[in-house]
Amino acid sequence: MDSMQFPLYILLLLVMAAVIVPILMKEFDRKSKVMILGTLAIAWGMSLYILVGVLQSGAYLYDIGNWGAKIGIQFNIDEFSAFMSFFIVSLTILIVIYSIKDIEHEIYRKQIAGYYSLVFLLLMGMLGITFTNDLFNTYVFMEILAITSCAIISIKRKKENYMAAFRYLILNTLGSLSFLFGLALLYMVTGYLNMGEVYNTISDVWQLYPRNILLALGLMLTGLGIKAAIFPLHIWLPDAHSSAPTPSSALLSSLVVKVYIFTLIKVLYRVLGEEVITGLGVSTYLGYLAAIGMIMGSVFAIGQKDIKRMLAYSSVAQIGYIILGVSLTSTQGLSAALFHVTSHGLMKTALFLSAGSIIYYKGKRDIRELNGIGYEMPITMAVFTIAALGMIGIPGTNGFMSKWYLSFAVLEAGQPFYLVVILISSFLNAMYYLPIIINAFFKQGIDNKEKEVSNSSESMFVTEEILDNKQEMNVEGLPKLMLIPMSIIASLSIILGFFPQLVMNIIELAVNTFL
Amino acid sequence: MEILQAMMDRTNYIGAAILFVIGLYTVLTHPNLLKKVIGINIMETAVFLLMVSEGYIAGGSSPILGLTKEQATTVHVNPLPTAMILTGIVVAVSITAYSLSLIIKIYEAYGTIELDEIMELRSEQTNG
Repeated sequence: MDSMQFPLYILLLLVMAAVIVPILMKEFDRKSKVMILGTLAIAWGMSLYILVGVLQSGAYLYDIGNWGAKIGIQFNIDEFSAFMSFFIVSLTILIVIYSIKDIEHEIYRKQIAGYYSLVFLLLMGMLGITFTNDLFNTYVFMEILAITSCAIISIKRKKENYMAAFRYLILNTLGSLSFLFGLALLYMVTGYLNMGEVYNTISDVWQLYPRNILLALGLMLTGLGIKAAIFPLHIWLPDAHSSAPTPSSALLSSLVVKVYIFTLIKVLYRVLGEEVITGLGVSTYLGYLAAIGMIMGSVFAIGQKDIKRMLAYSSVAQIGYIILGVSLTSTQGLSAALFHVTSHGLMKTALFLSAGSIIYYKGKRDIRELNGIGYEMPITMAVFTIAALGMIGIPGTNGFMSKWYLSFAVLEAGQPFYLVVILISSFLNAMYYLPIIINAFFKQGIDNKEKEVSNSSESMFVTEEILDNKQEMNVEGLPKLMLIPMSIIASLSIILGFFPQLVMNIIELAVNTFL
Repeated sequence: MEILQAMMDRTNYIGAAILFVIGLYTVLTHPNLLKKVIGINIMETAVFLLMVSEGYIAGGSSPILGLTKEQATTVHVNPLPTAMILTGIVVAVSITAYSLSLIIKIYEAYGTIELDEIMELRSEQTNG
């Protein structure tokens, strides 16, 4: 079957595109845009084909170069990796379509080719880390991700970006190194790097070497915790996500962080197994950290004045939800966590893209200056509102469904304390998202007031004409290429809010590969 | 005495752990950005040392077939960690190169590479 090779083909295609695009791209013209989107469309088609193939004929293991599982690199193409890679590619395409217009405003023209090269490499790293079944390969992809994700921040040549990228890079490297140290300790005990082989060995020997495995797990969790911004290790996130160009913020916040959570889930359930985790009592502490993160992330977000910085802090809280789901070590918990991965991915992308559009069109980043913006940019603010309501958890949005699943999972696990935390966190979310929406739609902006003052002296006829002009401006104010991806993401959020089974059915299959 | 003997047998592992902590300490406490990068490099070396020591088997020869006639009787060291560490070194070099280029840009932007001075400059900017 030829489609067996598709996971590798996607990665190779993206690497080739990353090399070829900057060579061929002299100008950022129509041809190069078609080339970029075409590459992504082929990758999307292949990932869709993989997903359909896996759903129809089942999961398979793919040995690269036929080296065998014990010494070679292996890809694990199952429901989980097929669905998540499809999700990653789809969301990346939407963000890239948005970025084609937006990126010209954010970085120098000379850098644009390099930017897309980095985006391709970033996508390759994310897909590779999702597919791979080998621990050392995970580390290599993690380092690819580390460099590219810092580079798409520092490509915007501003003072803050350099410092944010440097801090992110240092912490990222600390994370990868402590992951590698843990990996070396695991290799010492088991002698394998393949996740399946390690799992088979470790379930026999873990009682012999509890200290070694605890140390290895601690180092790996710390490393992944830094990269996934689990609460006390989140300090790099606000700077990095808020100073980056808008498409980069969307990519980093909605996808890159999630990929490390996938690795965390893999390490916990595929490498060590449920028995070892509960035996060592790791999941309890993970749950506490998640609960603190859910509260504190929102508390920090309330104090922020910069809209992108606020969204970045809100990510810290939302990652808390996902980690809470993971830490329950139950089927419901894990499926709630994976559902929240998709719904947070959609909502955060919508929020960052609409915030980016406001910055693109009005040049305003301060929350207090957004009064009345709903009249000038109705579509953008509608997208923002849908996503923000989802973050709060209003019924009818996908955010509500993930909170619903998570609450049931928490009750099922017999820990109603976490339900209180989820509710408090939702109220805190409402505290910083609702004022923006209310001010945007129900308060008059400074510009509007000035216009009305000037209008009042003129006749009715002229006022109407101005209003007409303004309405035209509403539609034309943003390029269609920016509006369409945002609208698609917002409508997907609503569709998933009403029909969560579309995703949940696949996720339940995916969870079965872990537990 | 037994503990001493056990420590002597595992010098490499202990050395790796100590180097890792020294590197971590440098990264976290030193205000100079260049020295942070040096600290990262020390940590990388520590992990590589640990990984390569795991593959070493006392008295083992290099794992190349046909190197010696009587290879059927001798023990070979595990080549896999060495091969992986080659990849690791490449990764480490690229991380170092990227972070050094970032430091150059930071120096151009702020005129210093001491983290505390940069923080002062930034807080002056936001306040004033």
